[in-house]
Amino acid sequence: MAEMTRIELIIERMAMKRAGRVLQACGVTGYTVIPALAGYGRGTQWTRDTDISASQDMVVMISICSPEVAGKALDQLKSLLGSHIGVVSTSPVEVLRPERF
Amino acid sequence: MDVALATLLSPIILFFVLGMGAALLRSQMSVPEAFAKGIAIYLMMAIGLKGGVGMSEAEMSLNIILVLVAGVVLSFVLPLIAYACLRATSRLDNTNAAAAAAHYGSISIVTFVAATEAVRLSGLDAGGHLVAVAALMETPAIITALFLASRGRKADRVAGSEQGELIREVFLNASVVVLVGALVIGWIAGKEGTASIEPFFVAPFQGVLCLFLLDMGLNAGRGLRQGWRSLGPATVAFGLYMPLISAVIATGVAMLIAMPTGDAALLITLAASASYIAVPAAMRLALPEAKPSIYLTLSLGITFPFNVTLGIPIYIWLASLVTA
Repeated sequence: MAEMTRIELIIERMAMKRAGRVLQACGVTGYTVIPALAGYGRGTQWTRDTDISASQDMVVMISICSPEVAGKALDQLKSLLGSHIGVVSTSPVEVLRPERF
Repeated sequence: MDVALATLLSPIILFFVLGMGAALLRSQMSVPEAFAKGIAIYLMMAIGLKGGVGMSEAEMSLNIILVLVAGVVLSFVLPLIAYACLRATSRLDNTNAAAAAAHYGSISIVTFVAATEAVRLSGLDAGGHLVAVAALMETPAIITALFLASRGRKADRVAGSEQGELIREVFLNASVVVLVGALVIGWIAGKEGTASIEPFFVAPFQGVLCLFLLDMGLNAGRGLRQGWRSLGPATVAFGLYMPLISAVIATGVAMLIAMPTGDAALLITLAASASYIAVPAAMRLALPEAKPSIYLTLSLGITFPFNVTLGIPIYIWLASLVTA
């Protein structure tokens, strides 16, 4: 097993493509997007089905990469989150096939 | 008065009130998301086809062109007034006021559909070209809002943004594509060509609209419940008086170009309505710093319920005052 870094980004759906481009530009080889159902933050509660435009929907983007690539990606994601609603966190993980990342 | 009461007590409006009441009382009732989106596409197809067929039967006159131009001009101008009102009366900053103003220059297609039914109930006729006006009024307001928001502010490039993504969102969003597409298809096919699909798009329309307005009521109620804390009293008041200001301006325009009553009622409704589909999505890309809890609660939680219950009868009355 090899040590890697897992990036978990919760971000508004409308910024998902921007986040994807940031990750790809930093050398991340893949990510998975999961829809978020509901949440609460900074005094505001939200649910997925409130807004017909779906512009308030949030998604969770999960990506695994080397710690170096993660460091680069976090710098860019910090800039993205300066404009868009979202939260990013990282954690160490172990992967079976490191060559995939 | 009878017409106003008939509109208020129509199943369409009563289902909306049911949905909104249920959401405000914290009912767990919900319409499945994918189903609601499917219904929205169905309604836009039906209204677009109806408008296209109507246009195929009418000659393109100078009056129709004037109405189309009037719609575009209203969509460009109304955000300026909305912005001035918000800046003068509320504590919203430049970006949030511009983002909210964009919603009030653009249109709500569901309010338009509800108004079409109310106009029909009133025994009035409306031209198919009003659907084209609705489609044309979706986007100019966004351009005005971006101009308002950009004044005195250096726009930084957002990480990961791509050239053309905003234009794609503004001109190729689902409501514009389906509405304009169905309008053109209806125009090309005409009454004879669409006869075979009429049983699917005409007879069930009212029932599907009830279902959709039940969902819209749920959305509006939830939006209001979750977002009301973001709004001050002046902002809430704006959500109620701005549609009336827009309606009065559109009434003047309708009088100036001598529109028939049914057409005028729909143009006034379009001007008075506030977007909650196309503009919020565009604002998330163009002005991500603006708070969606403010502009969505305003347009969906305050202005939309006002328009579908009290606004539409007022707009039909205004139209009847100034037209033949």
